[in-house]
Amino acid sequence: MEQVRDLKNIIECTGISKEFINERGTTRVVDHFDLKVKENEFVVIFGPGQCGKTTLLNLLSGLETPTTGETVINGKKVTGPDPERGFVYQTTALFPWLTVMGNVSFGPRVQGMKKAEWEKRANKYIKLVGLEGFEKSFPNQLSGGMRQRVGIARAYCNEPKVLFLDEPFGHLDAQTRYLMQEEILRIWEQEKRTVLFVTNNIEEAVYLADRIIVLSNCPTHVKAEYVIDMPRPRNYVDPEFLRLRSEITGLLDKNME
Amino acid sequence: MRLTKKERLCNALCAAASILAFLGIWQLATMYSRLGELIPSPIQVLQYLFTVEKIGRKTFIQHSLVSLSRVLIAYSVACVVGVTLGLLMGWYPKIKAIFMPLFNIIRPIPPIAWTSLAILWFGLGEMPKWFIIFIAAFCNVVINAFDGARSVDMKLVGCAKMLGARDNQIFTRIVLPASVPYIFAGMQIALSNSWAAVVAAEMIRASEGLGWVIVTGMSVNNMKQIFAGIVMIGVIGLLLSVIMRTLEGRLLRWNRSGI
Repeated sequence: MEQVRDLKNIIECTGISKEFINERGTTRVVDHFDLKVKENEFVVIFGPGQCGKTTLLNLLSGLETPTTGETVINGKKVTGPDPERGFVYQTTALFPWLTVMGNVSFGPRVQGMKKAEWEKRANKYIKLVGLEGFEKSFPNQLSGGMRQRVGIARAYCNEPKVLFLDEPFGHLDAQTRYLMQEEILRIWEQEKRTVLFVTNNIEEAVYLADRIIVLSNCPTHVKAEYVIDMPRPRNYVDPEFLRLRSEITGLLDKNME
Repeated sequence: MRLTKKERLCNALCAAASILAFLGIWQLATMYSRLGELIPSPIQVLQYLFTVEKIGRKTFIQHSLVSLSRVLIAYSVACVVGVTLGLLMGWYPKIKAIFMPLFNIIRPIPPIAWTSLAILWFGLGEMPKWFIIFIAAFCNVVINAFDGARSVDMKLVGCAKMLGARDNQIFTRIVLPASVPYIFAGMQIALSNSWAAVVAAEMIRASEGLGWVIVTGMSVNNMKQIFAGIVMIGVIGLLLSVIMRTLEGRLLRWNRSGI
């Protein structure tokens, strides 16, 4: 199926800064961050540990307010949480007292959707992430990878315009991680969304991204940008893959000094 | 921790053996020593439990039911009010600021200290007993619900907000279910407290119920009656906590690690 590329920017974020004030004075965590993302683009935000990636995502999603600058998503200025923006967390943050079905359908239900409708929708996304047959399971009965699938289905079930994934595979073992990387691409190919994927894993970044935004150390700003036009599925030992990997890693190392 | 079938069977056998051995020694001691002049044998107590002879206005079993129904009524009210207040105080700082100081004054007062006041306020009917049981159950329920609401994972709250939940939905759909394990722990302590409180309240002022049966047994020097009362208190207390634990197991399936 040929995807028609819409060239309009769905995320426009200009001059975002965030300062935290504590007893030692003011700490600037994010410094004049600019980002434009096109509809259905898969953007990976890649940065070293502790560089303010999570703060950045919180700013973009509206969980925190920037000190300066603004973010416009889908023509609307971000002022607070909005079901138009879906979130997948590293720690999954599933509601442990709800079944898979309860978790996935949470969004539509709190927004007052009728039962027949949310059930249909939740079933669709449970199927999309490959969890059919586990609708009645509780999160503590699932493996780490399956929990992350529930998290993805839950974010999808609100049918958001933009999906934010905050190091979603950080807690998984290597094998499951590779599997989930393939899975997230499959899901994204099937149900196209604009994706902002945060990671500190360079292989994951090169494997997944249409475009990689490399962050600097704290205070965070854009250090470099790479458009990756290798065809998918990508090969981890492809010469071009390895070249990009070492080039971007080198950028970070210089930056750490 | 889940036990295997074999382990559970073994535990049940051990429990049965230890209880039977205890009863056996008790029975033999009363039969073949002078202890029998002081205390009744287990068989005599057991017979007394099901005697149809009336003590005062009711049979022994009816007295037990009176005590039980007093507890269930007042305890239920205490749970509903206590959980509501505890969760609200734990989640909304303003409600905490208003009610917490008051609650902290009432909390350390032992329920039985309210007896005289309760009788003066509510007379001699059921009300003063309900009141004392309520007080005995209430504080534990409030404190545990309060702790539960305060320990809600803020990540889940943020997540619910991102999914479109409004503030009142956060309270009913996140804070309440997340606190259920805490609430249950509080309700279990509260249940045994209120069971103790009803007996104490009936001993001070009542004309029926297990507490009254024991006190009357003392004044007419009827050992069987006193023992039967004590045994029944133990049995009902045990049954109540078993029911609570079963209920908890059902409701908190999600809180168990691995099934």
